[in-house]
Order: sequence, then structure tokens, then C-alpha cells
Amino acid sequence: MKKSLLILFLVLTTILSCEKDDICIEPNTPNLLITFYNKDTTDLKKSVTGLSVWIDGKEKIYDTKTLDSISIPIDINAENTHYKFASEDIEDDINFTYNRNDIFISRSCGYKTIFENFSIENYSQNWINSIEILNTTIENETTAHIHIYH
Amino acid sequence: MKQRHIFIFIISFLIFSKNSIAQVQQDSAKVKEKYGLRVGIDISKPIMTIFDKDQKGLEIVGDYRILRNYYAAVELGYEDKTTDENYMNFTTKGSYIKMGVNFNAYKNWIGMNNEIYLGARYGLSFFSQTLNSYSPNVYGNYIEADLKKVNTEFKSLNAHWAEFIFGIKVETFKNLFLGASAQFKMLISSKEPKNFKNMYVPGFNRVYSNDLGAGFNYTISYLIPLVKKDR
Repeated sequence: MKKSLLILFLVLTTILSCEKDDICIEPNTPNLLITFYNKDTTDLKKSVTGLSVWIDGKEKIYDTKTLDSISIPIDINAENTHYKFASEDIEDDINFTYNRNDIFISRSCGYKTIFENFSIENYSQNWINSIEILNTTIENETTAHIHIYH
Repeated sequence: MKQRHIFIFIISFLIFSKNSIAQVQQDSAKVKEKYGLRVGIDISKPIMTIFDKDQKGLEIVGDYRILRNYYAAVELGYEDKTTDENYMNFTTKGSYIKMGVNFNAYKNWIGMNNEIYLGARYGLSFFSQTLNSYSPNVYGNYIEADLKKVNTEFKSLNAHWAEFIFGIKVETFKNLFLGASAQFKMLISSKEPKNFKNMYVPGFNRVYSNDLGAGFNYTISYLIPLVKKDR
């Protein structure tokens, strides 16, 4: 009787100590997913050659890469993010604006920020032809949020 | 003369019979056991209050012996605890009550009043949570999230749970008991704050992800003997 109770107690404490809620596994604040398309045949993806991407005043996230899709962070400390996109030596500016909403995830992950009313305040058209926003709410990373035509 | 003889006979019979009754009582070891109200405190909480500035608390414990091996038990407590997690910091304040029974599985020798017990409790807590600060969780460190000092208070929350206890109580001085217990808890239901979560509940302690919890207490208590019953 006493022995079995002791075993039961050990099992229960083991269950508790094996908890995995200290490691964050849920998705947190989504990045902005951009896919590049051909401006002439708009259903075809088109890689950008010598692509560099950075926030004005910070180091480069992508440095002269050839890619047809990228994932970049949105500034959670402000209501707008000013990005620089360069193809070879031609630079373009894109200014994103949005409203932030912090959503509770879990003990280990804390809060994530989702972005609502996502829009482009202004952008230059040196190598970029046009930009299409697919969804004004950015809350996950399942599909691309914007398409850039060039 | 005759009357005198009869008188002696009756007296001697009474004395004899009284002696013989006493003899019988001693043989079957008729021992009285104390039944009464035992009150005390959890000494771990005031000690934690001294050493940990993020934790304040008090727990009063009480039990009453209802049957030879069964005790009706109650714990009343108050807690004020600040928890620091990776991405947030919050304070939980509130009070709780736990009610239930203890079953003493220990066979005492005559005159001893020790316990090795198993207990069950129903726990109920009323509390508030204050989210002091948080920083949104982002991938990488290209943009580091600023700490947001929000001080959002979530009031009138509650939770109730079931608890299983394994504990000991030892009578160290006459009527003075030292005790220790370990508790295993299961949350039945709780009123959750909006866009936040009850991650700590007074009396329940840390709420693990599958609504389980654990706790310990170290008690010092005094027995107020009210009645004595035959063993």
C-alpha cells in the first residue's frame, strides 16, 4: 500500500517535471513574405538578380542575392517600416504602414504582434514596376503577403 | 448482628466488583485519544517572503478529527507573487481556500499521535493578474522588440481545482505538531483573462500547460484538545 503510493507520487512528479512549456514552439510575430513576379507576364515568378534588402540605416538582410521570394521582419516598435530594395545598383524605397496588435500565445512564447491595415504609403519605381498587397492583415507565414512586379 | 453481616457483605462485594472492573479495563488497555481542533501556519511562506522580494504569502491550516483516522481539513491563504518569464513579467494577487479530508494511514503506538496521511482537497481561489511588462516575440535580432510597460490589470478572476496530498505530522511537544506535505493538483476550471492566461494561481501555484500543478508546505500547528474518546 505504502510502496504503491510512493510509486504513484514519483510518477506524478515526473509528469510535471517533463513539461515542455519552457520551450517556445508556436509561431511568433510573422515576417513579411514577398514574392517577385514578372511585370509582363504577371503569373510568372521572376528572380531579382543582385538583390539587397535592408531597413534604412541598418545592415543588409539580403546582400546581392538572386531570389524570387524573401522574408523580412516588420518593425514591431513603430507603425511604419522604411525598407530599401536594391537590384544590382538600382535602389528603390518602400514605406510600409500598419497598425499593430499584440496577441498572447503562451507562457514560453509570450506575445506576438500581428499587423492590421497593412498598406504601402509610398514607393519609388526605379526597378520595381508595381506592388500588390494580397492581404491587409499579416498574422501568419503560410502564404506570400505581397507581390512585387519588376 | 445479622444486619451488620449483610452490610459488610454488600460493601465487600462493591469493592471487589469495582476492583475487578478496573482489572478488566487495564487488561483491554482502554486508552483515551485526543480529539480536537488543530490550527497552525505554513512556515515556508513567511520564510519565502523574507528571502524572495517577488513573493509574499500566508497560509493558515486547520483540521478537526472527525473519526479515529479521518480529519476534516481546511487551508486558507493569501498570495502576492511576481513571475518573470522570458517575454513577460506579471503579478498575481489573491486568496484561496482548500477544503477536504485527511486519512491517517499510520498505526500509532499507545500515547503517540503521529500521522502519515493521504488527503484530498477542493480548492477555490479568487485573484487578479497584472501584466507588468512584455516584449513581443520576434524571429532573429534584426529588430529587437522594445519592452512595453503596460501594467494591465485583469480583475475578478477565479479558479477551482482538485488536490491530492501526501503528508506527515509529528507531535514534537505535547499538542505541538510539525508537518510537511506534498500536493498534486488538477485544475477543474478557471476564469481566464482576455488576451492573457492564468499562469499562476494563488494556492494552486504555477499552472503547467496541461492544467496540472504541484505544491509543498511545512506546517507548525497546535492541537486544542476538546474531547477525549476511547481508542
